Amino acid sequence: MREVFFYLFAFLSVAFAVISVTHKNVIKGGVSLLASFVSLGAVYFTAGAEFIGIVQVIVYGGAIVVLYLFALMTMDLRSFGREPLRVISLAAGGTISLIIFLSVLYGGLKFTSGSIRTAISGAGDIALPLFYKFLLPFEVVSVLLLVATVGAVAIGRREE
Amino acid sequence: MTPFDFFILSGLLFSVGLFGVIVRRNVISLFFSLELLLNSANVLLVGFSKLHGNLFGEVFVFFVLAVAAAEAAVGLAVVVALYRYRKSVNTEDFSLLRW
Repeated sequence: MREVFFYLFAFLSVAFAVISVTHKNVIKGGVSLLASFVSLGAVYFTAGAEFIGIVQVIVYGGAIVVLYLFALMTMDLRSFGREPLRVISLAAGGTISLIIFLSVLYGGLKFTSGSIRTAISGAGDIALPLFYKFLLPFEVVSVLLLVATVGAVAIGRREE
Repeated sequence: MTPFDFFILSGLLFSVGLFGVIVRRNVISLFFSLELLLNSANVLLVGFSKLHGNLFGEVFVFFVLAVAAAEAAVGLAVVVALYRYRKSVNTEDFSLLRW
């Protein structure tokens, strides 16, 4: 049962990712990106990473995609215009993506036999390494978020 | 469910995102593709965390999420400011510094 849901949601997330990258309309691309992120959260659930799945849905689906859609609301969608598709960029993109995909698969060939331990890791299990072994990176991330917030406000401010 | 399945999922997401970064000319779509690249790394981190049976990979996913949120905030501020100057989000209109 777990495997069925894993393959289902993995397929869904890749399909929605393809839609979000190739769709002409940016709003529809953003909404399918949201669907892709929620499907990825479900993939994490099937692997037993419960807390990461929840955080994926909240942060990616609830914060980042909504941020993009809000920024799109301030723009005039009709002024975006059409993107000319060039054969050379399509060929370069396809070739480089295929090379990267095959090299990731080649790196994974060593791991075809092992098995995933699907023990559920909730918030309490993650808190132990997060607040003991990785306490300093955690604090640094809080400073990073503060700097990003101040920087976003400073850049987005309207000049008087 | 073997670890190789996580490699396939991650590789597919990364190649789709990289294709978008190379082909698209709309800055918002470029940001969508960048998020896909970050997510493909997260998939492999969760997979390895579950393979090894410790939680360090999942803690790292947490940090990647924070960096992605910061990147989205600052990047969108830059894009909105650029749109105010040029009334465009097409990367080919921002060629002032191109050699």
